[in-house]
Amino acid sequence: MFGVNLASTLKMQRSVSSLNLNLSVRARLISAGIQSTRDLLHVSPKQLSSETGLSQQEALEVLQVVSTGLGGASISALELLQREEEEPKSIVTFCSQLDTALAGGLPVGKTTEVCGTPGTGKTQLCLQLAVDVQVPPCFGGVGGQVVFIDTEGTFLLQRVTDMAAAAVQHCALLVEDDEQRVAMTTFSVETILSNIFLVCCHDYLELLAELHLLPDFLSEHPRVRLLVIDSLAFPFRQHFDELSQRTRLLNGLTQQLIAMATNQNLAVVLTNHMTTRLQGSKSQLVPALGESWGHAPTIRLLLQWAGSRRLAAIFKSSGHMDSTIQYQITSEGFRDADQLEQP
Amino acid sequence: MVVLREGMCPGLEEGLVRDLRAADIKTVEDLVSSDMEELAQKCSVSYKALFAIRRVLLAQHTAFPVSGADLYEELLSSTAILSTGNPSLDKLLDSGLYTGEITELSGGPGSGKSQVCFGVAVHISFHLKQSVIFIDTTGGFTASRLLQMLQTETRNTEEQMEALQRIHVFRLFDVYALLDCLYSLRGGGLQQASVGGGSVKAVIVDSVSAVISPLLGGKPNEGMSLMIQVAGVLKTMAKDFNVAALVTNYLTRSGGGEVQPGLGVSWSHIPRTRLLLERVDKAAVFSPSSLRSATLIKSSRQRCHIRAEFDLKWWSRSEDTSSSRKRKLEETDS
Repeated sequence: MFGVNLASTLKMQRSVSSLNLNLSVRARLISAGIQSTRDLLHVSPKQLSSETGLSQQEALEVLQVVSTGLGGASISALELLQREEEEPKSIVTFCSQLDTALAGGLPVGKTTEVCGTPGTGKTQLCLQLAVDVQVPPCFGGVGGQVVFIDTEGTFLLQRVTDMAAAAVQHCALLVEDDEQRVAMTTFSVETILSNIFLVCCHDYLELLAELHLLPDFLSEHPRVRLLVIDSLAFPFRQHFDELSQRTRLLNGLTQQLIAMATNQNLAVVLTNHMTTRLQGSKSQLVPALGESWGHAPTIRLLLQWAGSRRLAAIFKSSGHMDSTIQYQITSEGFRDADQLEQP
Repeated sequence: MVVLREGMCPGLEEGLVRDLRAADIKTVEDLVSSDMEELAQKCSVSYKALFAIRRVLLAQHTAFPVSGADLYEELLSSTAILSTGNPSLDKLLDSGLYTGEITELSGGPGSGKSQVCFGVAVHISFHLKQSVIFIDTTGGFTASRLLQMLQTETRNTEEQMEALQRIHVFRLFDVYALLDCLYSLRGGGLQQASVGGGSVKAVIVDSVSAVISPLLGGKPNEGMSLMIQVAGVLKTMAKDFNVAALVTNYLTRSGGGEVQPGLGVSWSHIPRTRLLLERVDKAAVFSPSSLRSATLIKSSRQRCHIRAEFDLKWWSRSEDTSSSRKRKLEETDS
C-alpha cells in the first residue's frame, strides 16, 4: 500500500497556494479541501468542477496549470558562455577606457545603472549610447534601435544631432571595404534619429504603465537593443508617503526590466540621483532610491568630479573588477580624457 | 490535507464518500477530527467500519519515528561537506557547505554575494566533479566570469568546458517561475540533471529576495505565503536529495539605520547558517577594493559573530601569487 516511490510522491505534493492561479479560483479549491496538487492528479475537469463549484473552463485551466507547472529547461553554463561570446555582446561607447573597463563596452542583456550628482554627464552618456547602439555591425557595433524613456524632459535633440553627426563622421573615416561603404549609405544623422523611439513619462504611474506595454512593442521591433530610462529616480523620489510601497514597486519593476533584458537581449540603462545619508555626525553621498534598490542593476557606474577631472567608477559588477577611469564630455559627446587615444 | 476519494482504503466506497460529502466531510483531516459516533449515525454506516477506515487513514498519513542511531548512520553515509574553495570562508562555515542544509549569504550591493556563488559553483564542478544547479533571478550570471575563475585553476580548455557543462543555469524572474522550477527539480529534475557527469550536489539561488521582496507587504499578504512555500520546497529538496542549498539575500536598513538581512523575521528561521558579507572599507563605498569581510550571524555549529576577511581576487589569482596571498589571508585572520 505504501509502495509508491519517493520521487513520484514528491511530485504529487505541491501546495495549491504555490500555483499561479487566480485568487478566487484558489479560494474555491481550498474551501473544497483541495490543498495539494496530489488531489488534482487523476481528476477530470468535470469531476473537479462538481467538487469545487468552478466552471468547467476554470477547472480545465487549473488542471493545465498543474500539469504544465513542471517545466522549464536549464542551460549549461557552457552554452551561456558561447552565447555571450557569439551574439552582439556589447555596445561600444566612444570612450575606449570605459570600453576596456567594461571588457568591450556596455553589455547587452544586462542592466546598468548610471548614478552621479547633477552635471556629471549621466544624460550625456545616455544620449551617446543611444547613438552608439546604432553603429553598423561591420564597424564593430550592434546596429540596433533604442527606446529612450525620458522622465525629466532632458532629452535634447540638438545634442543628439551633434553626437550623431560626430559618430557618422568618425565611421566615414574608418571605411575600408565595400561592406562598410554600403553600410555608410544608410548610416546618417536622419536614420540615427529615426531609430530612436522617445517616450516621455511624467510620473511613476505612466512609467509603470509604459513598462507593462513595452514587451509588446519590443516584439514588434526586434531590432531594439537598448532601453534607456533617464532618470528612474525622478518619478520615484516624489509622491510617496510610504517608502515601503516605493520599495515594493521598484523591486517589481526591477524584475520586469531584468526579464526584458534577458529575454529580448537588450541592454538596459537607468540613471539615478545621489542623495545624502546621515550617520551620526557624518554625512555621505550615496545613490538614491534606498538600500535594496542597489541590488537591482547588474552593473553600477558612478560619475563624479575629482577636482577638474571627470571620473567614472564601476563599483558593482558580477563580471568586472572595480575600477575607475577618466573621461571628458566634448561637443562630439562622451569621450576619452586624452584626445589622442580616441578609438 | 487530502481529499477523500473512493478506493483510498478498504471500505471507503463510492456511496460512503458521497454520504460523507453530504455531511460536509471532504478531506481526511475532516474525517479524522470529527466525532465518529455522530458521523456513523449521520451517514448510516456501522461505527466499526468507520473506525476501521479511520485507523487505516491515520496509518497511511502518519510519520514514523527513526532511532537516533540509525539517523547518525545515515548522516555519516550521506552528508557531504562541500568546500567553497576559499579557505577563510570554509573556516567560518566549519569547513564548507553541508548537504541537506540551507546556507545564506546576505550583503549589500557589490558585497560579493554573486562572486562567492560563482566561486562555489566553479569549485564544486571543477574540483569535486559534481553538478551544480544555478538559479539566477537577477540576471547577474556571467559565464565569462566563471571561465575566468576556471582559467586560474587549469589551462586545459577541455577541462574548463567540462566543468562549465556541469553547471546548469535557470534564469527565472518571478516567484511562480521559481516555484515551478524548484518543484520540478524536487519531482525528478535533480536526477535528470545528474545524467552525464556527477550527481547534483548543490542548488544555488541568487537571489531569493529579488523575486520575493516585490510581493511582501502587499495586500492581501500573499507574499508571505509564497515565501514560506519557497523555503519549504528548498528545505525538503536539500534533505531528500542531499544537496547543499546556497541562497543569497539583500540587506535592508531598519528604522534605526542598522543594516540587517532582508525578508524579515519569518525568513530568518529558514537558513541553517547565515553569513553577512560586507566591504572592508565601509566608509569609501566607491573605492575600488576587492577586500571583503564575512561575519557568521547564525550557525548551529560555530560560535557566532566570528569575522573573516577574504579577497574577491582569490578566485582570479594567478598561480604564482596564490601562495603569497594565502599567507596574507591567514595573517589577517589571526
